[in-house]
Amino acid sequence: MDTAPNRLPEGAEDISTGGFNRFAGPFYRLPDEGAVRRFAFAALEKHMNGAGTVHGGLLMTFADIAMSRTSRLASGAKSCSTVSLNCDFVGPGRLGDIVEIRVSVSRQTRTLVFLTAIVFCGERVLMNASGLWRIA
Amino acid sequence: MSGAPEGFSEIKLIDPFEIHTGPVWRKDGTYAFRVTEHHCNMRGVVHGGMLMTLADMTLGGAVWDATDREPSVTLNMQTQFLKPAREGDLIEVTPELTRRTRGFVFMRGDFKVNGETVMTVQSVWKLLGKE
Repeated sequence: MDTAPNRLPEGAEDISTGGFNRFAGPFYRLPDEGAVRRFAFAALEKHMNGAGTVHGGLLMTFADIAMSRTSRLASGAKSCSTVSLNCDFVGPGRLGDIVEIRVSVSRQTRTLVFLTAIVFCGERVLMNASGLWRIA
Repeated sequence: MSGAPEGFSEIKLIDPFEIHTGPVWRKDGTYAFRVTEHHCNMRGVVHGGMLMTLADMTLGGAVWDATDREPSVTLNMQTQFLKPAREGDLIEVTPELTRRTRGFVFMRGDFKVNGETVMTVQSVWKLLGKE
């Protein structure tokens, strides 16, 4: 039996202010869990691929948004840009899933932030991600 | 601004998220995409998520062709962002098949604006077998 959550957790705050974030979203920030930053979205019809699962491009978009935001939150930098991102597609996301990401900082220097993240719905892992952000 | 470049024709997108983010044009093995305002972030630079979606679409299209239309899923994708692309830019890619085995296809692609690479991508695809 699938015990996946079907509504956004308490304290979800819409962060899709404009541009592609709003177009592809909405995406939400969830309350932090210690040093772990959390974000979520609800999988809608527009997020799907032809096979009826969540499109990989949307999952990578979600990771990029959450990890970019984390690099700024953790460093206090005003702006950041993605240098590289590596994603493993572990399992499919479904229509109606509440998909969450947990982002952790591995290392921060004056100009760079190294991040890892896991994207999941309930107990199902959808994607593992790691990447490098330049901050300014 | 939204017209296809000369000699290119619009490809029929099926995935809801690709229809939402497209259109994408094609001429032989080359794909083209025009950056418009809704593909960008607040700084007028194309969103990394949009570029990775474009990469998944176009490298996936090349897998479909190379395997004589065998369904597949993305297992892994590695992306490097070399230079920002902006509203109005035409992004072009000619996906390359690096290796094909019975169960997997290894792809790569350099995404270029005016001949300059803005993003490089490598992806691994799992073949699902024909019906």
